[in-house]
Amino acid sequence: MHGIRYDAMHDEFIVPNQFAQAILVFRGDANGEEPPIRIIQGPLTQLHDPDRVDVDPVNNEILIPEDDKILVFPREASGNVAPIRVLSSTGNTLGELNTDPIRNLLVVGGSSRTGARREHALMTFPRTAQGDVQPRTMITGPNSGFHSGARMAINANRGLAFGTVRGNQVASDESYVGVWSYAEDNGDAPPRWTIGGPGGMLRQPRGVTLDPKNKTLIVSDKYLNAVISYYFPEVF
Amino acid sequence: MAQRSQVGRTMKSMGALLVLGAAAAVVLVTSASLGEHPLLSRRPTGEPQMISYQQLPAPPSMMDGAMCEWVPASASSPLSAAFPQETPAYSPTQTQSETATREPVRVVRDDAHSYSSVAVDVERNEVVMTDENLFSIMVYDRTTNTPPTARMSEPKRMISGLATEIEFQCGLYIDPGSGDIFAVNNDTVDKLVIFSREARGNVPPDRHLETPHGTFGVAVSEKAQELFLTVQHDAAVVVYHKAAQGEDAPIRLLQGNRTRLADPHGIAVDEENGLMFITNHGSVHDVSPDSSGDDSRRAESKPNWPLNRRFGVPGSGKLLPPSITVHAISASGNAPPLRVIEGPKTQMNWPTGIAFDPERNEVFVANDAGNNVLVFDASANGDAAPIRVLQGPTSMIKNPTGVFVDVKNDELWVTNFGNHSATVYRRSAAGDPAPLRVIRAAPIGKQALMIGNPGAIAYDTKREEVLVPN
Repeated sequence: MHGIRYDAMHDEFIVPNQFAQAILVFRGDANGEEPPIRIIQGPLTQLHDPDRVDVDPVNNEILIPEDDKILVFPREASGNVAPIRVLSSTGNTLGELNTDPIRNLLVVGGSSRTGARREHALMTFPRTAQGDVQPRTMITGPNSGFHSGARMAINANRGLAFGTVRGNQVASDESYVGVWSYAEDNGDAPPRWTIGGPGGMLRQPRGVTLDPKNKTLIVSDKYLNAVISYYFPEVF
Repeated sequence: MAQRSQVGRTMKSMGALLVLGAAAAVVLVTSASLGEHPLLSRRPTGEPQMISYQQLPAPPSMMDGAMCEWVPASASSPLSAAFPQETPAYSPTQTQSETATREPVRVVRDDAHSYSSVAVDVERNEVVMTDENLFSIMVYDRTTNTPPTARMSEPKRMISGLATEIEFQCGLYIDPGSGDIFAVNNDTVDKLVIFSREARGNVPPDRHLETPHGTFGVAVSEKAQELFLTVQHDAAVVVYHKAAQGEDAPIRLLQGNRTRLADPHGIAVDEENGLMFITNHGSVHDVSPDSSGDDSRRAESKPNWPLNRRFGVPGSGKLLPPSITVHAISASGNAPPLRVIEGPKTQMNWPTGIAFDPERNEVFVANDAGNNVLVFDASANGDAAPIRVLQGPTSMIKNPTGVFVDVKNDELWVTNFGNHSATVYRRSAAGDPAPLRVIRAAPIGKQALMIGNPGAIAYDTKREEVLVPN
């Protein structure tokens, strides 16, 4: 399972079921053999390979990035329902997603094709964009340090995006979590900070999330099978 | 690697360290493969260890740093007006290396080996187990029995480290002739790795076989010299020549919506009757060569290579009940099963490892989420109840993922991912029996975190809990 989001406003959490092409919504304190309260699944959904998920509790939407497109559903959608918006972007893959309801943006991690090359890219789109749209900003390039496979979180208050970056091997001490300013930066902009590396503890970071109350960044590491917390007041 | 910008910031005075609530013991494991990082160089003791400390600023007020309350979309004023317009200035002189090498305040990690699959080398009286937590293969004497007062039993041989190409291993086969160890990698590393029985330490496999992504269970027909692998992600079974290696292609493929394969896990073969038994968790979608496909992991020109998720038919996904599908051992293409054991009476709940007993004509299932081992008559069909069930506190069965039937010694082996143990019973055992023997990799009662392949994470701000999908 490669995606999860907690909706604090409605006390629900959402996970994608990749094999069953389904989006499962559970009560916030669900435990044990408790079934989901809503399932989005069926031919109308266009769900193909749902691996990641985002929830926008302010605008009541669930968003599913599927590399070649982003499907947007009403947050309370259930059953065989069609998306209310579909965003694609020619030349770009859209693999990870966070919604910024303050700036009304989609903050998307993926890649961008430049000629024969494909570059890792951190992109922003207008939140309600649909159809074939090019990003309004794109942090990409050799200095950016962004990785298209990154799992991401954002601090919308600060306009900062957090992305896990793996090294080139199965377990690499070049791994880290990078912090980029999607609100201010564009082009080949380096991360404002890195944490957990390079040269740190992380070996294959995957998930990343924030605990704003305690100013903590929390990372899951797949190679270590661990959950690691860093005190990181600089980004809150 | 990105060039790091130089960011300067003055640190405020520090206060006392605050130890925030953690879910489990915070202990780190020793492993040479994890490099020289000091936090990863401590030896496991089975007890919590302080790994680091860092003084923090004075405790903030309850509201300091809290996320601002969301304003509903129907609000009359824009959300941005509710937030401070000035943010701390980004100073380009701050040293970014301060945060790059900052130590964590908390690490949640299980420092003990967690057994996932098991196989007995009856010729050499050894038992081999895969460890899906710390990525190792461990070999013990078959009759090892960890004393209750001991913290753990040390393996007589262990294979572990980056050179081994071991990760998330969930299937195991021991060659009865050579003692070679066939171990299945489930994720990230798309290889079946094969070690000689004398391999130990951080050594590369003696042989490997490139496999589709997401293989899980393994079985071998010695009679036909064929090797069977289930492929979770593609709802498929691929069959190779047993001696296949490198980029050799499978010789048969079983895949398609009529096969009833749905997130297949364990596999066992009945060579005499020409059958294979496969456990399925139930999530599946259709695939079609006409769907857009793009496999960046492997060249699709190989014969008998399964269509991967990219060839999924959008909107075809299903959530089926767990099942055991029984197929002809020579089945291929989109062939339907001969029988399907499925339904509420079966008690199946994440059926994972499976083993076939040719003497008793029984099938044993490690029923992970059911916390039990189910025994079916091998000729069962439909909504059939198990003929025996092993479960209960005395049995020590907890989140079992592997089973092995040792016919020679009349024993059933179970690997319990939920409590760092492997337990042994008579094949005829039922109810809540005490194990004949127990091999433990951790002290009795040590909680197994069961964190395995944490590909994502979320924070529940209401309960102050971390959600970790595996």
